[in-house]
Amino acid sequence: MATRSLTRATPYAALLPMAVVAVLGYLGAGLWTFYLSLTASRTFPSAHVIGLAQYHRLFDNERWMLSLHNLAAYGALFVLASLVIGALLAVFIDQNVTGEGVLRTVFLYPYAMSFVATGLVWQWLLSPGDGIDSAIRALGFDGFRFDWIVSQDHVIYTVVIATVWQASGLVMALMLAGLRGVDPEIWKAARLDGIPAWRVYAQIVLPMLWPTVATVLLLLGTAVAKLYDAVVAMTQGGPGIASEVPAKFIMDHLFLRSNVGLASAGAVVLLVPVLALLAPYAYARSRKEAA
Amino acid sequence: MVGTRRWLLGVCLCAWAAAHAGPRAEVIHWWTSGGESAAVKQVEQAYRAAGGTWVDTAIAGGDQARAVTINRIIGGNPPTAAQFNTSKQFLDIIEEDMLNPVDDIARRDHWDAVLPAPIVDVIKVRGHWYAVPINIHMQTWIWYSTSAFAKAGIAREPASMDELFADLDKLKSAGLIPLAHGGQAWQEILLFSMVLSNLGGRDLYLKVIRDRDQAAIHSEAFRKVLVAFKRLQGYVDPAAPGRNWNDATALVIGGKAGMQIMGDWAKGEFIAAGQTPGRQFGCLPGLGKDSPYLIQGDVFVFPKTDDAATLRAQKLLADVVERPAVQLAFNKLKGSIPVRLDADDSQFDACARKGMAILRDPRRPVGVAEVYLTPDQNGALQDLLTAFWNTNMPVERAQNSIASALRY
Amino acid sequence: MNPRTIVPPLPPTTAAAHRREAAARRARRRFTPARIGLYVFLLGAALFFLLPLYVMIVTSLKSMDEIRQGGIFALPHALTVEPWRLAWSGVCTGAACAGVRTGFWNSVAITVPSTILPILLGAVNGYALSFWRPRGANVLFGILMAGAFVPVQVMIYPLVRVLALAGIFGSLPAIVLVHLVFGMPVMTLLFRNYYCNVPHELFQAARIDGGGFWRIFAQVMLPMSLPVIVVAAIMQVTGVWNDYILGLVFAGRDNMPMMVQLNNVINTTTGTRQYNVNMAATILTALVPLALYFFSGRWFVRGIAAGAVKG
Repeated sequence: MATRSLTRATPYAALLPMAVVAVLGYLGAGLWTFYLSLTASRTFPSAHVIGLAQYHRLFDNERWMLSLHNLAAYGALFVLASLVIGALLAVFIDQNVTGEGVLRTVFLYPYAMSFVATGLVWQWLLSPGDGIDSAIRALGFDGFRFDWIVSQDHVIYTVVIATVWQASGLVMALMLAGLRGVDPEIWKAARLDGIPAWRVYAQIVLPMLWPTVATVLLLLGTAVAKLYDAVVAMTQGGPGIASEVPAKFIMDHLFLRSNVGLASAGAVVLLVPVLALLAPYAYARSRKEAA
Repeated sequence: MVGTRRWLLGVCLCAWAAAHAGPRAEVIHWWTSGGESAAVKQVEQAYRAAGGTWVDTAIAGGDQARAVTINRIIGGNPPTAAQFNTSKQFLDIIEEDMLNPVDDIARRDHWDAVLPAPIVDVIKVRGHWYAVPINIHMQTWIWYSTSAFAKAGIAREPASMDELFADLDKLKSAGLIPLAHGGQAWQEILLFSMVLSNLGGRDLYLKVIRDRDQAAIHSEAFRKVLVAFKRLQGYVDPAAPGRNWNDATALVIGGKAGMQIMGDWAKGEFIAAGQTPGRQFGCLPGLGKDSPYLIQGDVFVFPKTDDAATLRAQKLLADVVERPAVQLAFNKLKGSIPVRLDADDSQFDACARKGMAILRDPRRPVGVAEVYLTPDQNGALQDLLTAFWNTNMPVERAQNSIASALRY
Repeated sequence: MNPRTIVPPLPPTTAAAHRREAAARRARRRFTPARIGLYVFLLGAALFFLLPLYVMIVTSLKSMDEIRQGGIFALPHALTVEPWRLAWSGVCTGAACAGVRTGFWNSVAITVPSTILPILLGAVNGYALSFWRPRGANVLFGILMAGAFVPVQVMIYPLVRVLALAGIFGSLPAIVLVHLVFGMPVMTLLFRNYYCNVPHELFQAARIDGGGFWRIFAQVMLPMSLPVIVVAAIMQVTGVWNDYILGLVFAGRDNMPMMVQLNNVINTTTGTRQYNVNMAATILTALVPLALYFFSGRWFVRGIAAGAVKG
C-alpha cells in the first residue's frame, strides 16, 4: 500500500521544480509586470497607481502601433520560411549525402554566431551601393536594385532574410532528429511496396512528425515575440521607426527611456495574442486527451 | 623558534597592510574601445598613485552599463562609482535617495567657479553635488575633407547656414556626397540640434529645448529650422539609413564625402587613419563666430552606502578625477576636452584648443538635448524627428507633434 | 522515381558499422537527375548560408584602411592575422586589454551546469507530462509555454529582487538558476513532444514489469532519448554561451562570460570601431558551440531510437 501511494506522489514531487518555476517565476513575474503597467514607474518600480493611463499612452504611440504591425508581417513570413527551408534541408540531408557532417555544420553555424556581429554583416550585405546590390550589378545585371533595407516599406523583410538565415539550421536539426527517430520498419515496408521516396515523405513520414513540427512552430513563435537583437544590429529600428518591433520598444523604454510603466504595459499587450493563440490549442489538446 | 617569530611578524605586517590597504573602488563605465581604454587607464593609475585600488568593470554601451548599475543598486551590491552622462538620467536615482553627495570636495575645490555653468546645473541638484564630471564632448562639430573642398572649389569654411547650403550644392555638382550621414535616430537628432542652434540661435534653442516653451515651438523661426533640417536630407546619399557614424566618417576620410556633422569623438577616426587637423581634414565648431557650442559630458556618480571604507573610496575618487593633471591625461587620450575651465590647453591639438577656448566664453556653451530633457521627453522628440526626416510628414504636423510631445 | 533512393533500414549497430554500410550504399548509387538536383539544392543553400561567413573572414584578415575603402567581398590585398591575435589576447575590453579569452573559463563554468540541469529537469518534466499526467500538470506546462514568449528583459526586475532576498545576487549560483528558469520551457517542450512519439505500450509494459517512476525513467526513457538530448544540448549550450544580458546582470563581476567581453569589443558608443578585430572576436567566441555541432554528428545516426522502441 505504501509503495502505491509513493508511486502516486512521485510524479508530483518530480514536477515540483517545474511548479515552482512556473508559479513563482513566470506567473509571479507576469502578475507583477501587470501591476507595474498600472503605475507611473519611471527608472524604478513605484507604487503610484494611475490605472490604465499607460495603455492609453501606448495605443496613442505611433511607434508601438507600427511595431505590432511589423511583428505580424514579420512573424508570418519568418515562421513559414524557416519551417519550409528547414524541413527541405532536413529531408534532403536525410538522403545519405556525402559530407553530411560538413553540410549540417554549414547550415547550423549561423545559430552559433552572435547576432551583434552577423547583423552588421547583413547590413553591409544588403546595403545599396556596397554588398549584394552592387555585386550583382558588377556581374552585368545593370538594372538590378536591392535597396529594401533603406526603404520604409520593405526594411522589415530584410530582417526576415537575416533571421531565417539564422534559424533555418536549428529547424533542420530538429526535423532531422525527428526523421532519424522514425521507425525503420516504415522505410522497409514502403520499399517493399515500391512507393517512391517523395510520397513516403509527404504522405507517411512528415505527418508522423507532427509533434516535432509543433515544437518547431512553438520555438519559432517565441523567437518572433522576442525579436530584438537582429533589429538592433541591422537597422536600429530604422529607417526612422520603420522596422520597430515590440521587444525593442519594451527594452528601449525599460532602460534607455526610464519608463518602466509604459514598458510593462507593452509587455502585457504583447502577451495577449500569445494567450489568445495558446488557449484554444491547449483546450483542444486537453479535449483530445480526455477522449 | 626564530623562524616562527619571523613568520608571525610577516603575518602581522600583512594584516596591518591589508587593514591599511588603499580604498577599493569598483567602477562601472563604458569606455571599452582602444582610445577610451587608454584614457580610463590614466585615471586608474592616478587613483592607484593616490593610494587606492581600482577594480574595473567595463560594460560597452551606455544603456547596458546604466541598466547594470541600476540593477545592482536594486540588488544590493552597488558599485563604488558608476559612469553616467551629464543628463537627467540619474535624477530618478537621486530622488530615490540612492546617491551619495560629494559636497565637501565640491566646496573645497570651488567647483562653482571652475566648471561651466550648464554642467553645474546638471550635477548640482537642490543644492547638493551628486556627480563628478570628467570631460566635455561637443556634439555638433562640422568635419570636412580638405581634398573634397578643393575639388568642389570651396575656398573658405562656411560661416552661416546659407553659406553651408551653398557649399553643399558645390559639393553635389562636383560629384561628391555633400553630407556624410548615418541614418540612426541619435544622429538625426544631432543634425537637428546643429540646425536649431546655428540657424535658430542660442535663445530659440534654449526656449525650445530647455524651457519647452509652446509659443517658441509654434513660432515661424522654429518652422524655418525644421524646413532647413529637412532640406539637409537632400544632400545625403541613399545608403545612409542604419549606417554607423564611423562608416560615415570613413567617407569623409576617403574624400568621397565633403562634410560630416558629428561630435568631437569623430576626431579619433581621422587620427587613426593618419590624418592631421588642418591638413587632410578640418574642424568647424559652428557657423559664425558666436554660434552656440553644444556640450555633453561624462560624470561619475556614487551609489549610496554607509560603509566607511567605501565612502573613503568614493571621496578619494571624486578628488582624483577632478585634478587638473588627471583631466589633462584622460582627455588627451579620449579626444574630449577637460571640464575644468582653468585647464592648460598647450598639449591638445588644434581642434581641441578651439573647443577649450570657446568653453571659456560663458555665452556660447549650452547643453545638448538630453541635458535639459528627461530620457522620456528626449526619446519622444527623437522619434518625431527621425520620422520627419524619413517620411513625407508636413512641417506643420511635425511642429504640432513636437509641441505636444514636449508639453509634459 | 527510383525506389533505391529510399534509405534501407539499419540494424541498431555501432556507428562504425553504419559508416561501412553508408559507404557501400554510396558505391551502389547511380547519378539520377533526382540525385543531381538534390546536390544542386544543397550546394546552393550552402552558398547562401556561407556568404556572411565569407564576408566575416575576409574582413577579419584586412587592415582597417582596406576596410574603410569599401568592397566587402574583395579579398585582402595585404593579408594580416593581427586582428585574430588582438581579438584573442590584445584588444581592449575596458581598462584591461587582454582580449576575449579572459571570459572563456567563466563561460565554461556557467555553461556546463546551465546545460546539464535544465536538460535533466526538462527530461523529467517531459517524461512526467507524457506518461504520468498528474493533475494540473498541463496547466503548469501552459504557464511555462506562455512565459517562453515574454522577452527576458521584462523578468529582470523581479528576478533581481528575489535573488537579492536570497542573498545570492551576482554570483555563479544566481546565473545558473536564472538560466534554469529561462531554459525550462523549451527543454520541457522538447522532451514532452519527443516522448509523445514513443508508443504508450512500451511504458505500460515497463510498469507491468514493476518499474517505478525513476526506474522507468533511468532505464527505459533516458537511453532512447539520445537524439533529443543532442538537440536540447545544442540549443541550451548555444543559448547560454551566447547569452549576454542575463550574464551581465546576474553573474557578478568575477564571472562575466565571454559574450560580455565580445560586446565590449564590438559595441562602442563613441570610440573607433575596429571591424576586423570584431569579426575575428565573433568567430573565436562562436567556436565552442560550433565544435559541439560538428562533433554531435555521430548521434544523428538513424536507428538508435527506433531499435529500442521495438525491443
